[in-house]
Amino acid sequence: MAIFDTLGISGSGLMVHRKWLDAVSDNISNVNTVTRTNEDAFRERFVVAQSVDYGSGEGGVRVARAEFGSGEGRMVYEPDHPLADAEGYVKYPDVDLGDQMTQLLMAQRGYQANLAVVERATNMYQAALQLGKG
Amino acid sequence: MTSPISGILPVGISAVTGVAGSTNVDAVASTSNGDGFASVLSSTFDKLQSTQNAADSLGAQAATGDLKDVHDYMIARTEASLATEMVVTFKNKAVEAFNDIMRMPV
Repeated sequence: MAIFDTLGISGSGLMVHRKWLDAVSDNISNVNTVTRTNEDAFRERFVVAQSVDYGSGEGGVRVARAEFGSGEGRMVYEPDHPLADAEGYVKYPDVDLGDQMTQLLMAQRGYQANLAVVERATNMYQAALQLGKG
Repeated sequence: MTSPISGILPVGISAVTGVAGSTNVDAVASTSNGDGFASVLSSTFDKLQSTQNAADSLGAQAATGDLKDVHDYMIARTEASLATEMVVTFKNKAVEAFNDIMRMPV
């Protein structure tokens, strides 16, 4: 709807940050996923955001695509692990938990910022409709 | 002395006939059957209906578990309530204007 554009634009921002949160939770949930050394480790998920030109009459942002990190992983010596190879190594995904927590903070704060915009825009439109009353 | 009197006479008469332009039915009719306030209001009602429908279908999706984003539903609901508020405000303003005219002392 053309009148309440701000709400739709903020909605697109909310969607991108929600998908980012999904990607981060996917990465964190697989932080201890062990694979055999001859297989690819879990590949870190990245969300690539792309702005939508406001001149097209839409504006906002969208998820262009998902990128995947390296499947190389890191070798860990765990000879007792059932998936360990002959030398006693298994593969852990190359996901840095500290980095993921930082991204989690950014995605969460970005989501909240977009929600704040929705709330402010709603108040703004309501104030405009109160014009001339009282 | 004759010139001011002759000047006053035509001015008074033409002014009165000019004011009688309120009985000019053509002008009034052309605005009321065309894009008057009624058609603006009805198109706004259509838009309101479409926002309400969008919010309703998202609400149904939320109930069936098909809803992907929670905020989609909340934004649609906010938009629908804002649109309702807007239409009601427009209506109130129009009624207010009508009442102002009706209260006009004759």
